[in-house]
Amino acid sequence: MKKGLFILLLGLALAAAVYGCVYFICTSSARNLEQSSQPELAWLKEEFNLSDSEFKRISELHAAYLPQCAEMCRQVEAQNQRLKALLAATNQMTPEIESAVAESARLRGVCQRNMLKHFYEVSRTMPPEQGRRYLAWVQERTFLTSEGMMRDK
Amino acid sequence: MNTNEPGNHDEALGKLLKEWRTDAPLPLGFQEAVWRRIQRAQAPTALSVWDVIADWIGTVLPRPALAVAYVAILLTIGLTAGWTQARQETARVKGELGERYIRILDPYQPPRQ
Repeated sequence: MKKGLFILLLGLALAAAVYGCVYFICTSSARNLEQSSQPELAWLKEEFNLSDSEFKRISELHAAYLPQCAEMCRQVEAQNQRLKALLAATNQMTPEIESAVAESARLRGVCQRNMLKHFYEVSRTMPPEQGRRYLAWVQERTFLTSEGMMRDK
Repeated sequence: MNTNEPGNHDEALGKLLKEWRTDAPLPLGFQEAVWRRIQRAQAPTALSVWDVIADWIGTVLPRPALAVAYVAILLTIGLTAGWTQARQETARVKGELGERYIRILDPYQPPRQ
């Protein structure tokens, strides 16, 4: 009985140890990504197999784009607040509302243009095949999302 | 002659039992009760699940071939479970980071659920 019990427990302990080791080893890449200084860019490097020089260039493009993006965010938010106030003040279409809606659309256009420009620059920095994959991936998640098109479904 | 020898004991006991007589009546249903007890004692006792497991651990598991197979199967289960869980966790983390990358670049992304 003692020998049998020992074998039983040994099997269970070994299984648990192997589980822990395999899990730890196989999640090390994900852990490294999360612990890097810029996890999103580290992920981009790994996902699109970027070399160090390509990654450096893309990091520079990313850093240059972020202030523009932040400024656009500020303008979009201010415009949203303005439109919200105008909509709350009346129950009919006014020239101010028309102008605010047009301004919102213009801002969205500018934002999308800047974003697309950035995506193209980043994709050109990557090896051609990865660049194409990157463009398809970002466009799918930004320009080609199905949000707002639910009636067509 | 030594009367303490086992043969002499049995002989004396046998003689005594042959001479022994009693007039005391047996209790009612004595014979049936005796037969019932004999039948109960002879009936095969049903083993509990735990008895079966304990017996298996004590007698079957220590056989070398079975012990090796048992440990190998558990190792395979541990390895497969660890690998599967790790793959799911890695996919989750990478998916999340990709989503965060897009969220940084696109002001019109809906807020995270």
